[in-house]
Amino acid sequence: MLLDHRELGAWRWLLGGTALLLSLFLLLPLLLIVALSFDSSQWLQFPPPSWTLHWYAQVFADPDWLSSLRASLEVGVSVTVLSVGIGLCASFALVRGRFRGRAFLRAFFVTPMILPSVVLAVALYGVFLRLHLNGTLAGFVLAHLVLALPFSIIPITSALEQFDGAVEDAAVLCGATRWQARLRITVPAISLALVSAAIFSFLASWDEVVVAIFMASPGLQTLPVRIWGELRQNLSPDIAVVSTLLVLGSAVLMGLAAMVRRGASS
Amino acid sequence: MSAPFLSIARIAKSYAGTKAVDEVSLDIAEGEFVTFLGPSGSGKSTTLYIIAGFVEPSAGEVLLGGRSLLAVPPHQRGIGMVFQRYTLFPHLSVAENIAFPLRVRRRPRAEIADKVDEMLRLVRLEGMRGRRPGQLSGGQQQRVALARALAYDPRILLMDEPLSALDKKLREEIQGEIRRVHVETGVTVLYVTHDQEEALRLSDRIALFNHGRIEQVGDGRDLYERPASAFVAGFIGNSNFLPVRVVAAAGRHAVVSCPDGFELRGVRVAARPAGAEPTLMLRPERLWLAPGGAGEGIAGTVVDAAFLGDCIAYRVRTGWAQDLAVRTPLAALGGAPAGVGQEVRVCCEGRHAFLFAAL
Ligand SMILES: Nc1ncnc2c1ncn2[C@@H]1O[C@H](COP(=O)(O)OP(=O)(O)OP(=O)(O)O)[C@@H](O)[C@H]1O
Ligand SMILES: [Mg+2]
Repeated sequence: MLLDHRELGAWRWLLGGTALLLSLFLLLPLLLIVALSFDSSQWLQFPPPSWTLHWYAQVFADPDWLSSLRASLEVGVSVTVLSVGIGLCASFALVRGRFRGRAFLRAFFVTPMILPSVVLAVALYGVFLRLHLNGTLAGFVLAHLVLALPFSIIPITSALEQFDGAVEDAAVLCGATRWQARLRITVPAISLALVSAAIFSFLASWDEVVVAIFMASPGLQTLPVRIWGELRQNLSPDIAVVSTLLVLGSAVLMGLAAMVRRGASS
Repeated sequence: MSAPFLSIARIAKSYAGTKAVDEVSLDIAEGEFVTFLGPSGSGKSTTLYIIAGFVEPSAGEVLLGGRSLLAVPPHQRGIGMVFQRYTLFPHLSVAENIAFPLRVRRRPRAEIADKVDEMLRLVRLEGMRGRRPGQLSGGQQQRVALARALAYDPRILLMDEPLSALDKKLREEIQGEIRRVHVETGVTVLYVTHDQEEALRLSDRIALFNHGRIEQVGDGRDLYERPASAFVAGFIGNSNFLPVRVVAAAGRHAVVSCPDGFELRGVRVAARPAGAEPTLMLRPERLWLAPGGAGEGIAGTVVDAAFLGDCIAYRVRTGWAQDLAVRTPLAALGGAPAGVGQEVRVCCEGRHAFLFAAL
C-alpha cells in the first residue's frame, strides 16, 4: 500500500497528532456545551466554579421546554412514519415500475438534499401561507417530510435493487398475492434499510432549524427553534442543557444506525 | 385418446418486434418429465414464464385439464417453480421457507408440520431445518427450493435451469435427486436447460427450441438417431456435416456422392430439409477407420488422435480439406491406433448417415 501505517516511521506520530488535534477541534465545542450544562455559575463561566444538576431540574420543570420537547418528538415521529411509508411505496414504483420518467423522478426525489434549506424554507412558507398551514403541526410535518424523504428513498431503493425480484415471484407462485408477497417477503428482507431510513428521517427533522424557524409559531416550537429563540434573548445554562440532550439523542440514534449497518454487512 | 393434461397451443410472444416465442404448441401428459432444450435466447424461459403467469403471451392458449390457465392469476395457478437464481426467502429458516406456501393457504398447523417433515425427507435435508438460506450451499438451497415448490402438491412443477450455477459433480448428484423426486411424487415436470446431457439424463421427452420455435419433440433417441433437421442433428451430440450431391433418391432413402466422389448408399433422408444445399450428417461414433488405399470410404489423413479414456478421438483431413471427427471405442480397436500422418479411409454404413436436402 502507498501509505502503510507501519512504514511511516516518525511521520506516524505527526499523522496521529494531527488527527487527534482535528478531532479535538471538532469535539471541543460539544464538550464545552456538555461541561457548561453542569456549570454551577449561571453566567456560563468556564472553567466551572463547581458542578450541579440544577439546570437539568430547571429544564425538566419548565413547561416551555417540555412543550418544545413534545413538539420535536411529535414532528419527528410523524415525519419518520410518513417518510418510511411514502419512501417504501415510492421506492417500489421507482425500482420495480416500468414507466417513463422514472430516472428523472428518482433524481427529483433527492433534490431536497442539495437544495439550500433557506430556499426551500422560503418557498414552503409562501405556499403554506395560501394553504393556511403555517404554524400548524401538519405544515411542520409536511415541510420536514420534504427534507426527510431522500433519507428514506436512497437506502430503500438501493436495498430493493439488490433484492432479486425473482424471490418475490417465487412467493407469488407459492400462492401469495403480489401485495402479500411484498409485505411478507420483500419488506422483511429489506428491514435493515427501513430501520436506517427511519433513523435518518427522524434525525433530519430532530436536528433541523432553518425550515423549522419558518414553520414555527409561538405555540409550536421544536427544540432547535426554541434554542435559537432563547439564544437571542438571554444566554442561560438551560440552552447548554437542551443542547446536550439534543446531541445525546442524535448520538444514540447514530450509534443505532451504525449497529444496523454492521448487521447488514454481516 | 383423452384430452392432454397440459396443452400449449400456438403461444407467441414478441418483444419490440422480435419474436421470443413463435407459435409454440406442445401437449404434455400427466406425470411426464418434459425438458425444453435449446441455445441461449431460443425462448425456453419465456415459454415457461407464460405458463407460470409472469409473462403474458401475445397469442395462443394454455390449457390445464381442458381449462384455460391464462385466465387464472399466477398465485392461484397451483404451479411450483424452481428458478435459476436462488430464490429462498432470506429471512426465513429452511422449514419456514417450505411452510410458506402452506401458511399462505391457511392450512392447519399440524398438517403444515407434517408436510414440512415429509418434504425435508424427500430432499434429504432433515438436519438443515433450522438454518437460514445464507448458511446453505448452492445445491442445498436449490433442494430446499424444490421442497418448497412441491410442498403444496402442485399440478405442474416448472424448473428454469435450476442447476446451472452448480459445478458438474454436484449437478449430476442433484439430477439424480430430481429424477428420484419425480418418480416418488409423480408430478408433471417442465424443465429448462441448455445442457443436452442433462436433458438426455432426466427427461421422458425433449422439446428442442430454436429461434422461438420447437424444432423437434421426442425422446433422446428420437432426437439423436432421427433428427428432423440439421439444427437438431448439430445440437444433440457431435456431428460431421458434409456438403454432398444427391445421386439418386427413392422414398426416404438416397444415394449421395461426397466431394471426393465416394458414393454412400442407403442414406436416410431427414423429415425437414436444411436450406438449399444438400448436407450429409455423420456421427463421429458411427464412423470407423480402415487402412488407406483403394476401397470403400472417404480417403484422408489423420491430423490428430487424442486418447480420451474410453475412446480415441481422431481428426481426419479429407481430400477437400475438411476435418472429420471420428470416435473409436477402445473395445472396437483392432490393433494399434492410427497415428498422426497416417493415410486412412473413413467408413460408414448408409443407415447411420443422415441427409438433409430438399428432394
Ligand atoms: N423482458 C424482456 N424484454 C425484451 N426481450 C426479452 C425479454 N425477455 C426475453 N427477451 C428476449 O426473448 C428471447 C427469448 O428469451 P428467453 O429468456 O426465453 O430465452 P432462453 O431460451 O431462456 O435463453 P437462456 O438459455 O439464455 O435462458 C431472447 O432473445 C431475449 O432477449
Ligand atoms: Mg432462460
